[in-house]
Amino acid sequence: MTRHRALGLALVAAVVGVLLAPTATAAGTENVAVTVAPERISTKLGGKFAFISTITNKGGTDARGLIAHLNVLSLRDGTYVDPEDWSTNRTRYLDPLVPGGSTTITWRMQAVNDGDFGIYVAVLPESGAPVPPVTSPTIHLDVAERKTLNAGGIVPLVLGIPAALGLLALGVRIRRRG
Amino acid sequence: MTAVAQTSDRTPAERSAPGWLVVLHQELHDLWLGGRGLVLSFAFSLLVGIIAYLVATNTDLNFLEQRESTSLTLQVAIAVGGLLTLLVAADAVSGERERGTLETLLLTPASRRELASGKLLAALSLWFAAFVITVPYVWFLGHGVGIVDEALVAGLAVGTLVAVFLASLGLLVSCFAASNRVSLSLSLFVLLAFLAPTQLPAGAQQAWAGDLLLRVNPLTAGERYVSKIVVNGHNWSEDISWLLSPVIGAVVFATAAVLVGGRYIRLRGGVSG
Amino acid sequence: MSAAVEAQGIAKRYGSLVAVEDLTFAVESGEVLGVLGPNGAGKTTAIRVLTTILQPTHGSFTVAGIPHTRPAEIRRRVGVLPESAGYPERQTGEEYMRFHARLFGHSRASARSVAGTLLEDVGLGERARSLIASYSRGMRQRLGIARALVNDPQVVFLDEPTLGLDPAGQRQILGNVRSIASERGAAVLLCSHLLAEVEENCSRVMILNRGHVVAEGTVAEIIRQAAAPRSVQLHVASEHTERAVVALADTTGVEDVQRSDGRAGWLKVVFSPAAEAGDAQLNVAVRVLLDAGVELRSFELEGARLSDAFLAMTEIA
Repeated sequence: MTRHRALGLALVAAVVGVLLAPTATAAGTENVAVTVAPERISTKLGGKFAFISTITNKGGTDARGLIAHLNVLSLRDGTYVDPEDWSTNRTRYLDPLVPGGSTTITWRMQAVNDGDFGIYVAVLPESGAPVPPVTSPTIHLDVAERKTLNAGGIVPLVLGIPAALGLLALGVRIRRRG
Repeated sequence: MTAVAQTSDRTPAERSAPGWLVVLHQELHDLWLGGRGLVLSFAFSLLVGIIAYLVATNTDLNFLEQRESTSLTLQVAIAVGGLLTLLVAADAVSGERERGTLETLLLTPASRRELASGKLLAALSLWFAAFVITVPYVWFLGHGVGIVDEALVAGLAVGTLVAVFLASLGLLVSCFAASNRVSLSLSLFVLLAFLAPTQLPAGAQQAWAGDLLLRVNPLTAGERYVSKIVVNGHNWSEDISWLLSPVIGAVVFATAAVLVGGRYIRLRGGVSG
Repeated sequence: MSAAVEAQGIAKRYGSLVAVEDLTFAVESGEVLGVLGPNGAGKTTAIRVLTTILQPTHGSFTVAGIPHTRPAEIRRRVGVLPESAGYPERQTGEEYMRFHARLFGHSRASARSVAGTLLEDVGLGERARSLIASYSRGMRQRLGIARALVNDPQVVFLDEPTLGLDPAGQRQILGNVRSIASERGAAVLLCSHLLAEVEENCSRVMILNRGHVVAEGTVAEIIRQAAAPRSVQLHVASEHTERAVVALADTTGVEDVQRSDGRAGWLKVVFSPAAEAGDAQLNVAVRVLLDAGVELRSFELEGARLSDAFLAMTEIA
C-alpha cells in the first residue's frame, strides 16, 4: 500500500468514526448547574418569602427534558415538615436550555413551622434515567416563633355576639307585643 | 262607612314598586321584625361561637391547624347558614298554605313568579346574617396566620352559591309539598343526603367515584374549594373546577324555583294540586 | 254598558267530579247578588273561578269588563274576602293593609293613607297597630273586608263573611256589605248559607246545588218559583176557635183545618192544590173569619220564606 493510500484510508476511517460516534444525550444532568439566592433567609412563623434558583447548561449540547423540584426539611430532629404545606407549586418542567443558556425560577413559600430548615432545588431528567440529580446549595431558613393566636381573646366574642343578638331579639319581641 | 277617595275613572294605579320587591320587603319585615330571623341568628351565633372557642383554646394549635380551624369555622357557617336558608324557604309556600294566607296573596296582581322571587331573596337574608356573624370569628382565628381576606372572600362566594342552591331547593319542595311538615322533612332529608358524602372514608373520597360524588355535590364541592384556599393556600384559579357544581346548582335551581315552582304555587299542595 | 260580572256556561271539573256546571248569570254595578247553596254546592269553587284562583274547565266570563283570559287585570279590579281566610299573626292590622295596598300599586304614602282610612271605616282604627294575633274573629273578618277594598274594587266577592260571628258582629258586617254596594257602587257577590242575611241584604239571589244553578232571581221570584204557599197558620181568640174551624171548613179551596196541639187558638189551614195562589186564599180565609165574627190575631203564610224555597229547591235537585 502506498503511503498516500494509507493516509486516505485513515482519513476516511476517522470521518466514519466521527459520524458513527454516539451523539450527546438529549436529557442529561451532568452539565447542569444550579445556584440559589439568597442562601440565608430569616422570617417569622407564617411569613411568606421567595428565593431564586438559576439553572445553567454548561455543556456543549442542548439540555432537554429537565425537571426542577423544590424540597424543604427540618434541620432539627422532631419537627414534622410536609413540603406541600410550604409551597403549592414545587415541581417545574423546564424548557430546553441551549449550550451556555440558563433559566431562572422564583419559588414562593410560606413558613408554616418555626425552627431551622434547609431548602434546596434538585434538577433531574424527566426520562427517569438512573443519574444523580443535580442539587443547589442548601438555603438556610430560620423561622422565628410567633404567637399567632391569643386564645383568651375569643371569650368576649363568644359571649358578646350571642348576648347582643339575644337582647336584640328580646327587644324586638317586647316592642312588637307592646 | 265613609267612602274612600276614589280615582275619577277607577283605573287601578300602575304599581309603584314591582311585586317581587314588595313581597321581599314584607318577607324581610316578617322574618326579622317578627322575630324568627333573630332567634335563628342567635342560635347560629351560639353554635359558631362554641366551635370557635373550642378550636381557639386548643393550646396545641399550630400554624396549619389554625388554618384548618379557620376553614372549619367557615365551613360550619356555610353548612348551618345554608340549613337556615333552606328551612325558611321550605316554609315559604307550604307554610302560607297551612296558615290560610296563600289565597289572599294569589288574589293580588303580583304574579306567582314574583311571589316566588320575593320569598327566595328573603330566605337568602338568613345566609348573609350568618356570614356577618361569622366574620369576627374568622378574623380572630385567621389574622394571626394571614388568611382573613382570602377566607372571607372565599366563604362569602361559596356560601352564597350554596345558599342560593339550598333556598331554591327548599322553595321548589315547598311549592309541591302536600303539607308544611312534608316540605320541611323532605328538605332536611335532602340536605342530609348532600352532606352524607363527607362521611365517606378518606380512601373512598380519593377514589374516582368518591371524588366524582364530592365534585357534583354543590355543598361538598364548595367546602372543598374553601378548604383548598384557606388551608392549602391555593390561589383562586388553581381549583376552580370545584366551583362548577355550586355555580350550576345555584343557577339551575334558582331558575327552576322561580320559573317552574312559581308557576305551581297553588291553593292545594301535592303534585296533582 | 256590560254588567259588572257576566258568566257564561262556566264549568269546573276535577276528573269525573263536577264542582260547577253550566254557571250562567250576570251582576250589575251596585247590586248585591246572594249566592246560596248547601255545603258542597260549588259556591266557593264558583268564587275561585271568577276571581282567577282556579281556571274554568269550560265557559267564559268577564269581570269589570275584563275577559277571563286576562286574570292579572281582573285581580286588579276585584276585592275578595275568601272563606276561612288566614291572617299573618305577627303583623299588625296596619302593616297587613299597607302590604296589600302596595301589592295593588299604591305608593308607600298612599298605602299608609288608604290603610288608615279603611281600618277606620271597618271600626279597627284604634287597633290598627295591634298584632293580628290579638284580634277576635269578628275583627279579623272586618280586617278581611278592609283588605278586600284596598284597591277600590269594582266587584267584591264575599265568601261567608259572617261565619263564626255573633249576631252583633253579623249585623256590623252586613252593614259594611250594604254600604259597599250603595256608597261605592260596586257589584257584590255574597256567598252565604245563612238565608236570613241573604234575604235581608241581597237584591237578587242565585241558588246553587251540586254545582248547578237551580234558581235565580229576586227573593220573591224564587219563592214563587219554588212553591206556592199551600198553608197558613192562623191565631184566633181561644174562645172563637170552634167557630173559626166551622167557618173555614165550609170555605171553597180549603182542604183541611187542623187545631194546633199545645197552642191554644192556633189553627193550620191547608189549601187544596187546585186553589188559587196562597195570597189569594189567605184573603178568602181572613174574610170568612171576619164575616163569622172571629177575632184574628195573627197569621203566618207557610212556604212563603226563602228558607222554604231553598229547602224545596235543593231537595228537588
